[in-house]
Amino acid sequence: MDDVIFWSRLQFAFTATFHYLFPQLTMGLAWFIVYFKWQHLRGGDERYGNAARFWSRIFGLNFAVGVVTGIPLEFQFGTNWAAFSKYSGNVIGQTLAMEGMFAFFLESALVGAMVLGEQWLGPRKHFLATIGVAVGSWLSAYFILTTNAFMQHPVGYASAADGSLRLESPSDFLLNPWGLVMFLHNQSAALVTSSFVVASVGAFYTLRNMHFHQAAIYLRTGTLVGLVSSLLVAFPTGDRQAKMVARYQPAALAGMEGRFHGGSEAEINFIGQPNVGAQRLDNPIYMPGLLSILAFGHRNASVQGLDAFPKSQWPTNVDLLYYSFHVMAGLGTLFILLMAIAVIQRWRGRLETSRGILWVLMLAFPFPYIATTAGWMTAELGRQPWLVYGLFATNHGVSAVVNGGNVLFTLIGFSGLYFVLGLLFLFLVAREIAHGPSDPSSQGPREASNDYDLVRDPLVYSDRVHSA
Amino acid sequence: MIMTWYAILSFILTAFILLEGFDIGGGTLLYVVGKTDAERRGVIAAIGPLLSWNEVWLVSFGGTLLLAFPAVLASSFAGFYLALCLLLWMLLVRGISLEVSGHVDDPLWRAAWNTCFVVSNTLLAILIGIALGNILRGVPIGPDGTFALSLFTNFSPRGDVGILDWYTFSTAIFILIAFAAHGTTVLMRKTDGPVNKRCAQYAVLFWKVAIISLVMVTVESFFVHVDLITRPFVEPSGWLGLVCIAFGLVNLARGLRKQRATQAGIGSYALIAGLMIVGATAIFPFMLRSTISPQYSLSAYKAAADAHGLVIGLVWWPFALLLSLAYFWFIYRNYRAKAYHVT
Repeated sequence: MDDVIFWSRLQFAFTATFHYLFPQLTMGLAWFIVYFKWQHLRGGDERYGNAARFWSRIFGLNFAVGVVTGIPLEFQFGTNWAAFSKYSGNVIGQTLAMEGMFAFFLESALVGAMVLGEQWLGPRKHFLATIGVAVGSWLSAYFILTTNAFMQHPVGYASAADGSLRLESPSDFLLNPWGLVMFLHNQSAALVTSSFVVASVGAFYTLRNMHFHQAAIYLRTGTLVGLVSSLLVAFPTGDRQAKMVARYQPAALAGMEGRFHGGSEAEINFIGQPNVGAQRLDNPIYMPGLLSILAFGHRNASVQGLDAFPKSQWPTNVDLLYYSFHVMAGLGTLFILLMAIAVIQRWRGRLETSRGILWVLMLAFPFPYIATTAGWMTAELGRQPWLVYGLFATNHGVSAVVNGGNVLFTLIGFSGLYFVLGLLFLFLVAREIAHGPSDPSSQGPREASNDYDLVRDPLVYSDRVHSA
Repeated sequence: MIMTWYAILSFILTAFILLEGFDIGGGTLLYVVGKTDAERRGVIAAIGPLLSWNEVWLVSFGGTLLLAFPAVLASSFAGFYLALCLLLWMLLVRGISLEVSGHVDDPLWRAAWNTCFVVSNTLLAILIGIALGNILRGVPIGPDGTFALSLFTNFSPRGDVGILDWYTFSTAIFILIAFAAHGTTVLMRKTDGPVNKRCAQYAVLFWKVAIISLVMVTVESFFVHVDLITRPFVEPSGWLGLVCIAFGLVNLARGLRKQRATQAGIGSYALIAGLMIVGATAIFPFMLRSTISPQYSLSAYKAAADAHGLVIGLVWWPFALLLSLAYFWFIYRNYRAKAYHVT
C-alpha cells in the first residue's frame, strides 16, 4: 500500500470536496444577506432585518468550517505536491498569495462584524461589512479558480532555465479565458446551492406553519434566484465551458461523453454505462448530432473519440469522469425544471398551498451540493493524466520524501476530524433552523440570549464594560 | 530583489508570531487567568474577534513563500510532513472550539470545547517553537535539495538530526513560555477586574521564566552555530533587531512594574519582533541550512523564483498589505468605539 500518488490524490480530493461544501453556500448566501440588509436599510422593514440576522447565523457556521477546512488545502501544495510546487510555484504562487492578501484578510476582518456586529456598527457600516464579506468571498474564488484554470489551460508562462515555469504575462495569466468562464459557471452554481437552501428552509417553515412572513421571503427569493442561476449555470456558462473543453481538452470531452470512437454527427448520451474494457457505451439513450452542435456549433462537426488518443493520454478514470459529468448535467437540468415550476406556481399565487412542490423544494437542497461536487470531479478527472495540462504529469507532482504510509495516516486523520466536524456542523445548523428567525412582531436586533455564540457576544462586552 | 522578498517573508512571519502569539498564549492560559465561566468568556471575547484575521498571516506566508521561494516551500513542507499536518489539525480544532463553544448554553459543552481550545493552543505553541528551532538549527538536506525528518534521532543538533533534539526542545519550551507571557501581557489591556489582576501577576512570572529560557536558548545557539549569535552584531538589520529587543525589555520591565498595560504591551510586541528580526538576520542567506554539509544548504539566492515573477509580485504586494491593514483598522476602531460608547 505504498502508492503515494494514489493516497495523495485521494487526500486532496477528499479534503477539497469536503471543504467546498461550505464556501459554495457562503458565496451565494452572502448576496442573499446583502439583499435582505438592503431591503431593511431602504424600507425599514423589520422582516428583512430578521431574515438577514437568521441567515447570517447560518452563514457564520458555514464560514467557520470553510476557513478551518480551507487552510489544509493550501498547505497540501507543499506537503504532498512538493515537486509540483517547485515546478509551478512562481506562477501559481502569485494567485495563492493574492488570495491570502486581497481576499482572506478582507473576509476574516469583516465576517465577525457581519455576523455579530450589527449593534456595534450601526446599519450603514454593517451593510458595508456584509458587502465586504461577499466581495471577499468572490475575490477568493476568482484567485483560486485562476490557479485551477492555469492547471487546466496554462497560459502566460514561459520555461525558466532550471526547467520550472516562470510567469511571463501576468495579464494573460490572470485573465485566462478558461478561468473567466469557470468563474462564472462556478459562481452561478454557488448561487444555485444557496437559493436551494434558502428555498428549502422556506418550504420547511411553510409546511410546518411556522415563521410565515419569513418563509414567504425565503420562498420568493430562493425560487427566483434559483431559476435565474440554474439557467445561467447551463447557458451561457456551462455551454461555454463545454466548448472550452472541446477545444483544449478533447480527450476529456470524449471521456465525459463515454465516446470511445470519433466521427461526425456526434451524439449526446443521456443515459448509458461506459464499458472501458469493451470500449463501448452500454444501453445508451442518445440524440445524434447534439454533441457536435454543442461542442462546435454545427451538426456535422467531427468530435474526436478516445480512440484518437494513445491510452496513456486518456483520463485515468474514464468511468468516474463519465458518471460525474452526467450526474452534474442531469441534475442541472432538473434544477431548471423544478425552479421553473416553483416560480410559475408562485406567480399564480399557489406556491404556499402546493404541498407537493413544497415537499420537493424542502428535500431538494442536498442535490446542488452533489451537482457541484460532480462538476468539480468532471473538471479534475478530465484534466488527468496531467497536473498542468499538457506540461506536467500528475505522477511527477508528488513529494519524493513523503511515503504512502505517511499520507494514509494523515488521510485517516483528516477523515476522522472531518467526520466529527460534519456531525457537529449538522447538529448546530439544525439547532439554528429549529430555533428559527425572530418573530416578526419583535422589533430590533435580537437580544443576545444565552444559547447563542457567547464567544463574541455583546453581553460579554457589556459585562466587561459595566464592571469597569 | 531577493533580499526584499526575504524581508517581506520575515515581516509576514513576524506579524503572525506577534498576533497569534497573543491568541495562542491567551488560549493556553484560559483556565489559569479565567477562574469562572464568565471570566473565561471574557478572555475568549478578547481573543475571538481577530483570531481568523491573525491566522490569515500564516496562510499568506504559505502563498508568498510559494511565490518567491518555491524550492524552500517544496523542500520544507514535505520534509516536515507529519509535524505540519499536526499543526493543521490543531489549527482546525482551535478554530472550531472557539466558534462553537458559545453555541450551546451548557456547562459541559463549554467545558469540553474550552479544553479543546487550551490543548490545541498549547500544542500549537510547542509546534511553532519546534519549527523555529528547526529553522535556526538546520535540517538534513542532501544533495538533491530535499530532506525527510524523523521525529528524533540521537537528540544531537548535528549531522543526521531529527525534528526533536535538545536544541529544538529548548526553543519549544521558550516559545511556549514566551507566548504565555505575551498573551498575559496583551490581555492586561483587553480585560479588567480579577482577570486583569491575574494577568498582571502571571505576566511578571512568565516573563521572568521566559527571559531565563531565552538566555539558555541563546547560549545553546552559540554552540549550535556560532554565527547565529555573531551575525546579528555585524548586520544593520541585526542592529535594528537588537535595538527592538532593548527597547522592548525596558518598556516591558517598566510597564509591568508600574502596571501600565499599554507600555508593557508595546514592550512585549517589540521584544518578540526584535527576536524575530535577529533570527531572520542570523540565518540569512540560508533559508534551510543543511546539517549534513554547508554546500547543500538552500540559500535565498539559490531557492528564489524567476526574477520576472518576483518583480510582478512586488507591484501588487504593498498595495495588498495596505488594504489588509485598512480592514484591520476598520474593525479595531469599531470594536474600541463600541466599548467606549457603552461606558
